[in-house]
Amino acid sequence: MIIIGENINASNRSVAEAIVSRDREFLQGLARAQVTAGADFIDVNSSLGSGSIEDEPATMGWLVEAVQEVTDRPLVIDSDRPEVIEAALRRYRGERLMINSVTAQPERLASIGSLAAKRQAWVIALAMGSEGIPSTVAERLAACDQIMARLTQLGLEAEQIFFDPLILPIAVDSHQGMVSLKTLEQIKSHYPAAKTVLGLSNISYGLPLRKLINRAFLLMAAYAGLDAVILNPLDTKMMSFIKAADMLTGKDSSCRGYTRAHRKGILED
Amino acid sequence: MTEDLLSLIKENVIQGRIAQDDEGFDEGLVGQPGASELTEKALTEGVNLEDIINKGLTEGMNIVGQKFETGEYYIPDMLASAETVGAAMEILEPHLAQSGIKSKGKILVATVKGDLHDIGKNIVSILLRGAGYTVKDLGNDIAPQTIVEAVREERPQFLGMSALLTSTMIHMNNTIEALTESGLRDKVKIIIGGAAVSEEFAQSIGANGYGADGFQAVKIMDALRNSMKG
Repeated sequence: MIIIGENINASNRSVAEAIVSRDREFLQGLARAQVTAGADFIDVNSSLGSGSIEDEPATMGWLVEAVQEVTDRPLVIDSDRPEVIEAALRRYRGERLMINSVTAQPERLASIGSLAAKRQAWVIALAMGSEGIPSTVAERLAACDQIMARLTQLGLEAEQIFFDPLILPIAVDSHQGMVSLKTLEQIKSHYPAAKTVLGLSNISYGLPLRKLINRAFLLMAAYAGLDAVILNPLDTKMMSFIKAADMLTGKDSSCRGYTRAHRKGILED
Repeated sequence: MTEDLLSLIKENVIQGRIAQDDEGFDEGLVGQPGASELTEKALTEGVNLEDIINKGLTEGMNIVGQKFETGEYYIPDMLASAETVGAAMEILEPHLAQSGIKSKGKILVATVKGDLHDIGKNIVSILLRGAGYTVKDLGNDIAPQTIVEAVREERPQFLGMSALLTSTMIHMNNTIEALTESGLRDKVKIIIGGAAVSEEFAQSIGANGYGADGFQAVKIMDALRNSMKG
């Protein structure tokens, strides 16, 4: 499982404050901690909300530079605004990177897709169009079809696309767990070369013991074919479940990853 | 040069790496040649076959045995190493006959009647092959009479039986009785193993040895072999 560390996100208040005050050390500390905990990619999101929209390209550029000072791990540029992504790409040094995200919404799909194709970046593609998150599997797959057609036309390969089947809170609609899992499964069967990604925490919104729910869902998603996950890598219990899931789904030959993690003392039961 | 190659083979047995794409016990080894590539290379360079087996494969596996005993290695680590030895032996086998290297002896192995567990038996087989024995694997769910006939035809010096279930271990006893009745009991040394059985059980049915794991099986075989010489 590819681990995308989510901790540098401006929707988190302490991160937002650090971005505003240009607290390089605080943000670099978050990056380092995630790398140590086993993150393969570091997501960076600089969206401070209304009032700072014009400044965001510059802010993102600064953030990308700050994080890259302390790690060689590839970054995930987290924005739906082409001008912000462009600013990030200008400052980005390194080969691999990921862009988070596009939807089937045509204009952004075209502009962000072109940026990604030019840079041969991996792209996270949300299984939705302009009208919000569809509640059915069929609608989500239709969005994936549109995205796949457009991105490959722009010059990306299927294996560079990470489809996010999306998650709606189970608290609101008890069928939504299965909708996400079925969508995930269908994406893997329609586009075997494409990858899949999920941000887990939405599933447990509004319920107690959210981590328990997130972990249970991770295991099911792993079985349905999940390739990458966006989460807090400092959650050692979740990271332990991921090691076990990789092993149990046949992705860990001779159980090397699991036993090695155990030797390092990072597994928690 | 030869020494380097042998120690590399040994190291890759310890790491459990058959081919260059394999991960090892330690990190960061992908891309370096594994035991198969190194064994091929040793053959082309004319390295002595006995040295490859003894100083490369067997010495490596001895260390794996120690690491398994101390709990540093888990079953998948040990299996990966055993498979590595098995892969290297497969490459060497066609060359063994010509080079005049003598087998340490022939052993028939079988999981007894009613028992379908073969993982343990297979590990023991690989380890014994790596240690220089000729192994004939009869498979699992093997009836006493089938074993008797195989002993008569194959004339092995050793017979190894495995049982994982308390309900099937009785067939070890039955097999030994059948061998006695056929007058073949004195022709073979019998060792047994498997989760269901123990040293005490081995003694009670008149087996010659009990191995708690594959490494012990090799040790017991070597000891029995030495006692036969004397």
